Amino acid sequence: MHLTRVRPGVVKVERTPLTVLDRLYLPAVIGGMLVTIRHLLHNLFNLKQLPTISYPEVKRVYSERFRGRHILTSREDGTTRCVACYMCSTACPAECITIQAGEDERTREKFPVRYEIDLLRCVFCGYCVDACPEDAIYMTRDYEMAIDTRARSVVGLRDLVVPPNFPVGPMGWRPYYGAIDKHGTAGGTGVGQQLRSAPFEDDAPPNPDVFRGGDAQ
Amino acid sequence: MSTLTKFSAIPYTGPAPTNRNPYVPAGAEIADARGEVIAAALQHPGMTPELGQDMPSFIVDKEQIVDVLRALKESEVLAFTMPLDLFAVDYPGRENGSRESGVGSRSNTSDLQSPNPDLRPPTADTRHPGRFDVIYQLYSLKNNERIRLKVRVADGESIETGTPVFKGLNWYEREVFDMYGVVFDGHPNLRRILTHEAFQGHALRKDYDPAQRWILTENDVAKIIPKIDPRFENVDTDYERVTLNLGPSHPATHGTLRIVVTLDGETIIGADQEIGYLHRCFEKMSETHTYQQVIPYTDRLNYCSAIINNVGYCMAVEKLLGIEVPARAQHVRLMLSEFMRIADHLVCIGTNLVDMGALTNFWYLFQPREEIYGLIEACCGARLLPSYTRIGGLAVDVPPDFLQKSQRLVDMMPKFINDVEKLVDRNKIFLDRVVGVAPISAEEAINYGFTGPCLRACGVPFDVRKATPYLGYETYDFDVPIAEGGDTYARFLVRMEEMRQSLRILQQAIERGLPEGPVIVDNPYVALPPKAKVYNEMESLIYHFKLIMHGIQPPVGETYFQVEGGNGELGFYVVSDGTKNPYRVRCRPPCFQIYSAFPDMIMGQTIPDAIAALGSLNIIAGELDH
Repeated sequence: MHLTRVRPGVVKVERTPLTVLDRLYLPAVIGGMLVTIRHLLHNLFNLKQLPTISYPEVKRVYSERFRGRHILTSREDGTTRCVACYMCSTACPAECITIQAGEDERTREKFPVRYEIDLLRCVFCGYCVDACPEDAIYMTRDYEMAIDTRARSVVGLRDLVVPPNFPVGPMGWRPYYGAIDKHGTAGGTGVGQQLRSAPFEDDAPPNPDVFRGGDAQ
Repeated sequence: MSTLTKFSAIPYTGPAPTNRNPYVPAGAEIADARGEVIAAALQHPGMTPELGQDMPSFIVDKEQIVDVLRALKESEVLAFTMPLDLFAVDYPGRENGSRESGVGSRSNTSDLQSPNPDLRPPTADTRHPGRFDVIYQLYSLKNNERIRLKVRVADGESIETGTPVFKGLNWYEREVFDMYGVVFDGHPNLRRILTHEAFQGHALRKDYDPAQRWILTENDVAKIIPKIDPRFENVDTDYERVTLNLGPSHPATHGTLRIVVTLDGETIIGADQEIGYLHRCFEKMSETHTYQQVIPYTDRLNYCSAIINNVGYCMAVEKLLGIEVPARAQHVRLMLSEFMRIADHLVCIGTNLVDMGALTNFWYLFQPREEIYGLIEACCGARLLPSYTRIGGLAVDVPPDFLQKSQRLVDMMPKFINDVEKLVDRNKIFLDRVVGVAPISAEEAINYGFTGPCLRACGVPFDVRKATPYLGYETYDFDVPIAEGGDTYARFLVRMEEMRQSLRILQQAIERGLPEGPVIVDNPYVALPPKAKVYNEMESLIYHFKLIMHGIQPPVGETYFQVEGGNGELGFYVVSDGTKNPYRVRCRPPCFQIYSAFPDMIMGQTIPDAIAALGSLNIIAGELDH
């Protein structure tokens, strides 16, 4: 396999002509065996660097952007941060989120009476997290979601809501993981709170005329 | 406790500033001028120019289309020899005679057409009534240009088949028939292709209810009897002829493909295929989702190189919106596209060699692939189906150590590629299996509409990255590898070299470094505002809500954008009617054409050869079946 230049930007890959030795099968087979044996010896003496891992005893560590199972965060007082605004269910391309909103008689706050995610429909695209204006839905690094019946694939508030000050450690896809303090917690004093008080540099309001054919025309 | 209604169900009808004016493509004048030249060169009465498109575009009389196709193909000057695409768009309102009938009638209502009134086709719609736009897209290798031909067909009307001119139109015509019910007269085998025999109606028609379900029972399954190749028809051998089903569920087919072959002894003398086992009508689903929500669907087209699909789709919509993606996002898109191309080729070569019994290569090739997926996961949190790009840029910035990780990958990959080369390239057992197996000539390949490595293996140096550069490919120093022969071995050689060329591009990209700046456009009608603003600022919160609820609303119009996918030209044709949902998303899957030529390629060969050839074509069922 060698290259000849046809013209600038185009090269031709030439076919390998077989020598008499190659036609005898054995040299090529032995050459191939040498490559394999080299890999074998390399792996034998570097067992720690083996590319395979012994799952489930050893688990792969994913990045802090991993899009795994969802959680709903809670405020300091224990109520869920979700205000049932339907943004996540609207943004969801798989239509796997079902929300039923209710109103707290005492505080007049809107909150989810029912919040269900069908994990078999979910495509784990992370759009719900991007859509949430309340810092209420995160994705975790939990990827082990085996179930034995279809009915159990629908997870509700009981499975999703985590207590206040849930540690950020196992957290995956969430707003601004780069800016997050590793020791912070989700919800309560978590990302949202940090961002809420954080000043931002570019204070100019978005310009609606950035488009050809905007208001300016 | 009271229960509130879901207010997202309230339809939004007001215009966004993005769609107040119809779409005017960037190079419309050039395309119009070129269209005039083409019309003058061809002098065909059946062609009416359609102005203001992104490529030379014509409305062709229904009766004349085959004539025009033949003239365009045979013209010495124009030489439109490659059928890139054929699909349809449904405009049901047009049949009622209303002038304001969807997107299609724009050509005679809009003031934004050519300033010269003589150039406008004022009677285009009245001369060409009909509900469906059947759209042909051809490519000229000689002049490196594209042309679009539109034929308007009413419900129940038929068109003459273009298969005698371009073999590649065979499956496309079947697809249009399947999805729209447009009949092509004289087509050699006009049966459903993507849906099954018990399917009622035509799925991509606007009046088809997508919630319907059709059950295929055992009695409905088509009995496919392959047509025997004329070369073997009267050959008398000692063997009995046997018809054999290969697949749909077969370890060697890498996806659910059904190939029915007629064997004479060991020789294949007739073959036919059935596809569509993975059909989910991605294009129909796109019509009921917002532009942003289509991105996860594009992941599932060619799942071996998902980011290239994301990039292709996003760039098509960005072209429609007329926005420029920030330099940093472009750089990341380019790098990840090249990584994905390498991953695609690694899978193709690795599995192809497994089919031929060379299992070790699979491990050597899948290790770097694993590392590439690790890099993708570090960027966006998913390995196989990343959904990383957004319209206007990227979902998030890359991790801080992105370049170091990429450098490590670029450094480690040549070792694995060289090892595989050492294992097989001088191995006579391997060469006996691939040299001269399933060859296709350059003329045939172009006639079928091949693109990508399979075309380059025939010695045609067509690469979208060179022909119509995007993402700044023109600033990188790389070569397009070609090989001669068009057989399985040539395809193997081209893919091996392409991986090395991709590594060259990546090395240059790493040396240039990531440009500073944002990764998504600062435009509240396209990209979500930063979360810090959403939490703190009323205005941004409103934009956030508006964008999620009402989506991106591109200007009314249609556009086509092509990128070089792992298998060839991956094109997206997007039609917008100004609302949040695409009116039509057409994906040109490269391996659709390539697979349609498969029976021709394996004729006269044996079953093991067919398996080796199938692996080298890199058929990805997700893309093939839409």
